[in-house]
Amino acid sequence: MAPREVLFKCLNCMHEYPGMFDMDNVTERVCPKCRSNSVRRLPKPKPDKK
Amino acid sequence: MMDVGRHPNVEMLTFSEVEQVTGFVGNFNVTVRKKARYVNPDECTSCDECTKVCPVAVPDEYQQGFSSRKAIYLPFPQAVPSSYILNMENCLGNNPIACGKCQDVCEKKCINYDDSDELINIEVGVIIAATGMEVYDPTEYDEYGYTRYENVITSLEFERLICAGGPTEGHFIRPTDRETPKSIGFIQCVGSRSTDGRGNPYCSNICCMNTVKDTLLLCDHYSGVEIKVFYMDIRAFGKGFEDLYMRSKEEGVKYIRGIPGEVVENSDNKNLILTVENTTTGKLEKHDLEMLVLSQGVIPRKDNAKIRQLLTLSTTSDGFIMESHPKLKPVDAPTKGIFLAGCMESPKDVKDSVTQSGAAAARASILLNAGETKVEAITSMVDPDKCNYCGVCSRVCPYNAILAPDKKTKKLPTIIQAACAGCGACASECQQDAIYMRHFRDEQLTAQVEAILAEDPYKQLVVFACNWCSYAGGDMAGTSRLQYPTACRLIRTMCSGRVDEKFVLQAFKLGAPMVLVSGCHFTDCHYISAVHWTQKRMDRLWNKLDKLGIRPERLQLEWISAAEGQKFAKVMRNMEEKLATVTQEEIEYTMKALAEDEEKEKVKKQKKDKAVEVSS
Repeated sequence: MAPREVLFKCLNCMHEYPGMFDMDNVTERVCPKCRSNSVRRLPKPKPDKK
Repeated sequence: MMDVGRHPNVEMLTFSEVEQVTGFVGNFNVTVRKKARYVNPDECTSCDECTKVCPVAVPDEYQQGFSSRKAIYLPFPQAVPSSYILNMENCLGNNPIACGKCQDVCEKKCINYDDSDELINIEVGVIIAATGMEVYDPTEYDEYGYTRYENVITSLEFERLICAGGPTEGHFIRPTDRETPKSIGFIQCVGSRSTDGRGNPYCSNICCMNTVKDTLLLCDHYSGVEIKVFYMDIRAFGKGFEDLYMRSKEEGVKYIRGIPGEVVENSDNKNLILTVENTTTGKLEKHDLEMLVLSQGVIPRKDNAKIRQLLTLSTTSDGFIMESHPKLKPVDAPTKGIFLAGCMESPKDVKDSVTQSGAAAARASILLNAGETKVEAITSMVDPDKCNYCGVCSRVCPYNAILAPDKKTKKLPTIIQAACAGCGACASECQQDAIYMRHFRDEQLTAQVEAILAEDPYKQLVVFACNWCSYAGGDMAGTSRLQYPTACRLIRTMCSGRVDEKFVLQAFKLGAPMVLVSGCHFTDCHYISAVHWTQKRMDRLWNKLDKLGIRPERLQLEWISAAEGQKFAKVMRNMEEKLATVTQEEIEYTMKALAEDEEKEKVKKQKKDKAVEVSS
């Protein structure tokens, strides 16, 4: 799968930032603000059914 | 190299490429592609008659393009075997034969245009990988004018120009006027120790002493030549290196602390004008030089990713191949039975490469002489009653130690005990709990979680720490007398890859306010890539917690190395601060939500099992 831009959220300082995500090439995530590794890749928001 | 070529116990396969490596320690099967040479090396006497008649001339790669070679050529003077080789990409063509002059003049009739690649299989017990490195191409440093100005060359090109076997037979000349330059400058750290996005951040280790050696060579051959070396700092750390550096200074070589910001060519005489801030005097200086040598750094091979895949190795953030342990197993690869030597592991000089090769050979011979090997006590096992043949285990194994199952033939996954290193990623990823790890079984780890949370669970910090890095980081914090909260309760696993989703969920279900999963940094992982699966699993866990209305930030993830005692203590203090924000109601809600979810999952599974039973 090609790398794509996703939203990351640091679960330590709650900082949200965009970044590249590549399923085949996993890299260590570090929050650019607080240097924590508790960085979650936020799931894509589900499209509104209406 | 000649000795190796002649040795009765050594079989050399030159001009060959490893295509595939399968098996495990003691039983490796290696497929090698022997490329077509079009010249029989056993018959060729290197008489050189073929090159005399070959009409093709292409730049000679060995001489850095300073001279040309023919389509049929001897790769370099000391090549083993000392046999010519025909480069079909340069040849005018063999199908149909367009020229054929070399074949006509070859008295030994050793040129065969119909030669083709050959695949051979070799069975070996151990493998020593020594694939070397490449040199950095300084073209991107536009300010130095490499490739724009003819008189700017690299240290490797300098090596060819001053070598007696080089294109100028050792006469050092500058390319524009073929005259010996009267002033020469060297710029250090080109492509090394760089943090501006160009080059590499690491020190290439060999460039300083290579330049010192080059300056001494110039002093020996051409007295009176003005030599200037522009540097950040000279790293002369080896035995006798400082003496060599002092000798170079005594010979009159000027060492100027400062890296030039600009190089401009004088169009009249092709001299080079360097602008540099001398950081010793704090003044901006201009230097007029006839020739400039860029001391280029070394980089990992471009095909390191392929080598890594072939031999199930891991790489550092710099791209060099990582050893099993930097102090205790510096020549062992993480995969048992594979050893590393030379610059594939890190930039190093000849002496260090020879030392490492000797160590790798000794380590290999220990295994070969013993004829048997001890397998890890902590390995994975398959429970045949639970396996549903999905094959996830074989896909996640960083060591390729699990042979994939087959649903049609009901073949269970086979774990090669000699290849399994015991990371436990397979056991954690198996959704059927069909894989268990000896000594780190689910029951043993869940019992630890239960014991920790048996009393005052809302006061405890549950920490899963990997044996090699995070747990050792905790030890480091302790021995360094660093203060960290007493509430943290560590559960040791061999790798963070062993931390199953259910251990974390169970901790929350039993009332834990905060859980931390910690492991090695990606480049330190002792199990190649097992730590990658930890991060993926954490994403799944955070999503699940979020879905159940539980704050995902109650589950934290940190990569802590054995040397990061400070980080360990800081993370624990941070966890304690976060613990204070978790309310009793929140914990109770979490316990209830997880219990309900577990019940739902159980019902879902029962329905699924029933459906499978009916269909079968």
